[in-house]
Amino acid sequence: MGALSLSQLIDLVVGGLAIGCVYSLIALGFAMIMRATNIIHFAQGEVMMLGSMCGLTSLWLLPALPLPVVIAVGMASSGLIAVAMELAVYRTLRRRRVPIMNIITATVGMSILCINAARIIWGSEPLRFPELFATTAYDFGGVRMSPQLFWIMVMGVAIMGALQLFLKHTPTGLAMQAVAQDHEAAQLMGANLTRIMAYTFAISGMMAGAAGIMLGSMFFAFFEMGFITGLKGFVAATLGGLGSIAGAMLGGILFGLIETFSTVFLSSAYKDGIGMILLIAILLVLPSGLVGLWQKRR
Amino acid sequence: MAALIALPWIEPDKFALHVLSLIAIASIAAMGLQVLLGYSGQLSIGQAAFYGIGAYTSAFLTAKLGVPFPLALIGAGIAAAIASLLMVPITRLTGAYLAVATLGFSIIVYLFIKNEEWLTGGSYGFIGIPRAELFGYVLRDARSSYYLNVGVGAIVYFVFARIEGSRFGRAINAIRQDADAARASGIRVTLLKSECFVIAAFVAGLAGSLYAHEVRYLAPNDFTFWKSIEILIMVVIGGVGSLAGAILGAAVVVGLPEYLRAIGDYRMLVFGAILIATMLFGEGGLAALAATLGRRLHALAMRLILKPTASRKAAP
Repeated sequence: MGALSLSQLIDLVVGGLAIGCVYSLIALGFAMIMRATNIIHFAQGEVMMLGSMCGLTSLWLLPALPLPVVIAVGMASSGLIAVAMELAVYRTLRRRRVPIMNIITATVGMSILCINAARIIWGSEPLRFPELFATTAYDFGGVRMSPQLFWIMVMGVAIMGALQLFLKHTPTGLAMQAVAQDHEAAQLMGANLTRIMAYTFAISGMMAGAAGIMLGSMFFAFFEMGFITGLKGFVAATLGGLGSIAGAMLGGILFGLIETFSTVFLSSAYKDGIGMILLIAILLVLPSGLVGLWQKRR
Repeated sequence: MAALIALPWIEPDKFALHVLSLIAIASIAAMGLQVLLGYSGQLSIGQAAFYGIGAYTSAFLTAKLGVPFPLALIGAGIAAAIASLLMVPITRLTGAYLAVATLGFSIIVYLFIKNEEWLTGGSYGFIGIPRAELFGYVLRDARSSYYLNVGVGAIVYFVFARIEGSRFGRAINAIRQDADAARASGIRVTLLKSECFVIAAFVAGLAGSLYAHEVRYLAPNDFTFWKSIEILIMVVIGGVGSLAGAILGAAVVVGLPEYLRAIGDYRMLVFGAILIATMLFGEGGLAALAATLGRRLHALAMRLILKPTASRKAAP
């Protein structure tokens, strides 16, 4: 409490931005699935957790793996898991045209399944990642920054940038955008709906996998880590404006900052509660999020 | 009905009666969610919040203030109902947004229970909760508390069974099918939806109070999101929309792990899989299955579940 020195303030901002990148990546997954299918994918946090666990396992097997490879392992495994969920369950449910609530209940079931499978495979103890980053602080003209947080931010921004390029400039990315806008019209234009949906889940899973490795290296990997973090990713997506890609990125960063600062200035015991209060408030007052606010002003 | 009354005399095993009490308590909470989800179509993943509020209110009233149990029971229901009024603005939300908001609410309540040690005992738990007593008679043995829990469960069941055919029941059914059409027909959608919330919270509070006096020790970990999800699983695998299904679901979710200790670790794994499978293959859940098998078979199944326990005399 009380006054902060400049260096403490910078530390907080950097910490908030780094965790914000993690939330952004998870929020992107929520947003992409939301746009394409209208479902809230409750298992998104678990996809992230499984990516983190798989990345950690790859490090156990080959301790010399460089960071980008670990990230790639996390992204690939999470992507595969998300696609498996889509192909095994969600696609079938959509085809039967069951009410959307049933699909969402199935995603809750998927989340329970993943958490408990992970507990059986990896145990219930928090698992620490080996040191992936340099430990001496970088010095940017007098501003000291932990290499870990620095690289998490760099990677987060790079991955999000790559996603934007993919969505805007590749045929598959454009087809995904088209499907998100209108299933029937996109199908008439020759988009293969089943395949595009699978891609959507693959990419949202990959985003979550990257987030899982980052989060795991910041704290630790843990079978229940996905639940509350997934929920926070959802808060971030809602804050930005549900179903908006840019909103998800913005909302994640903003929520990371809000959470970090409120932990210091308000209460650390209620850290997880702040997000929930924010969530309920946004849903009530500003259901279209920040992006909606901006669109209204135009 | 007669079977339920006679049961403690046929099967006086303490542990079995305790498990049946827990099943009765769980089914009260599940029936509340059934009204909310099955009748009015609102998905809540936050029922543990009201369950917890009820449990701690009742514990506080009896242990700290010396309020007699029947009053504390009602008080617990009312406290949960009042807490649910906080959620009334949320009933404007629909579907998944509502579900997430209720989940958020239950996380806030859990954090409150865990952190406000002066009130709830925090992580150490709330100890020293007196036994339930009715009109000066303390319910000392498993049999009398069985009657209390099953009795309250039966009352809730019969009250809720009357809802279905009533004007209120038909109105919320209309809302579930099409909220816009219901509003156009002059049904006050928001009001009725909120009423369902309050009713579900009230009975969840009752269930919490009964739980507090059955177990007589409360810890925050009994009221995490897992509890909410358990209550949801009871309703879904029992059969959305069926009161008897909620009870059946509660019996499966609470009873099965008690008797199949081997599935202990795999319990939630199995339930998660069942949840997905129910969505994929059997919409009506167990209730639809049971309806075809008939009531008699149900009673027989209950007896079969209870048989293996005659050999074990583990105290609860």
